[in-house]
Amino acid sequence: MTQVYDPTAPIPEVIQNLRRSVGDLTGKVVGFIDNAKPNFNLLADDIAELLTSRYGVKTIIKRAKRGASMPATEQVIDELAAQCDLVVTGSGD
Amino acid sequence: MSAAPLTRAMLVEAPDDLDELIEFFHARRWSDGLPIVPPTRERVERMLSCTTRKPDEVVANVAPGFGAATVERIAINAVMAGCRADYLPVLIAATEAMTAKEFNLQGIQATTNPVAVWLVVNGPIAEQLGVNGGMNCLGQGTVANATLGRALRLILQNLGGAIPGEMDRATHGQPGKFSFCCAENEAQSPWEALHVERGFKRDQSTVTVIGAAGTHNMNTHAKDADDLIRVIADTMAFPTSNDYWIAGEPWIIVSPEHAEVLHAGGLSKADVKRRLWEASKMSAGRMAKIELARTQTARSEELGPITTNTLLPVSRGPEDVGILVAGGPGTHSVYVASFGDARAVTREIV
Repeated sequence: MTQVYDPTAPIPEVIQNLRRSVGDLTGKVVGFIDNAKPNFNLLADDIAELLTSRYGVKTIIKRAKRGASMPATEQVIDELAAQCDLVVTGSGD
Repeated sequence: MSAAPLTRAMLVEAPDDLDELIEFFHARRWSDGLPIVPPTRERVERMLSCTTRKPDEVVANVAPGFGAATVERIAINAVMAGCRADYLPVLIAATEAMTAKEFNLQGIQATTNPVAVWLVVNGPIAEQLGVNGGMNCLGQGTVANATLGRALRLILQNLGGAIPGEMDRATHGQPGKFSFCCAENEAQSPWEALHVERGFKRDQSTVTVIGAAGTHNMNTHAKDADDLIRVIADTMAFPTSNDYWIAGEPWIIVSPEHAEVLHAGGLSKADVKRRLWEASKMSAGRMAKIELARTQTARSEELGPITTNTLLPVSRGPEDVGILVAGGPGTHSVYVASFGDARAVTREIV
């Protein structure tokens, strides 16, 4: 056997924790970041309707990115973080 | 097994036999599919002797896995790609450049788009290292072009974690994902060099990273600047381009012959950018309906209401049209459509 270097870098293990538990959705404010993929807006519309009519969500706030491969603006993130109890992001291809 | 250190590379036991060792790398998906040069302690130390930076210095964390690109790990991947030892500073600067926020490496690494990272070397180091900006500069046959581009791909894969079919979601990819590297043909350019245009001195050496969706050859014997501008602009405008729906940063690799035609027509580099930007505006009605809708989402703030009659510019402004003079004799230039959501970044090589 011979010795060679492993060319990879270990992926840092970051343990993700929810900042807080939302629990019951009644009266909550839910945000959507539309990732600008085709049809995400339609999916978000349907989910928003269900969240409001079936689970008692009080307010839905929708904001869009310019394109799927770019991050949401800091302004959008700050706004949703300040106003929402939870935020949904996702791909709607 | 204990966790690997984040900043020091680990030696592993591998087969003595070269064929078996190469298969050992393939099996772990540590290669790009081609045979590698074994990154032994001796070879990596030789590579590290060409920089004053410490082996465990973290140059950047590479998206999407955000593995730590230490100087040592960059050297390891450079050895594997077949780089000569004095190429290392180019790769350190390129790693810094491609992890700058405006390059959007997270998007580039994980997209279905075929985008490759194109390296352009400017300044005295291009000649010192033999980076080709002349004949066949995007093709085979030059050690520096072939191995620098390859090393960067190995860094993207091994340190960024963008394994094809896993985090790298490219539908097809492109040959430029094996290697995509050239110099500017500064000696035969009638204009200021790219790095000078971007704020560096002529005697500084730089590397520029560009998110390139592919190369499209443009063969024209046009000897009139207006005629040449017209046909290049017409090539730039196609309805499936990322540039038009998101306002991108397209590039034209102008051959020395075409550059001379444009220069003889009285056009500076800024003039060429402005003329191409104006002449390449495309009717939004040429797009598929769904792309028109995406364009309306992405560019209404910039352009106002967008209808099928709107003439879309390829980028936000003429300054976002990139011009590079490269290649040898011949009536060919190359259109490089961009990923769209990335901006070229230039860093000094030190």
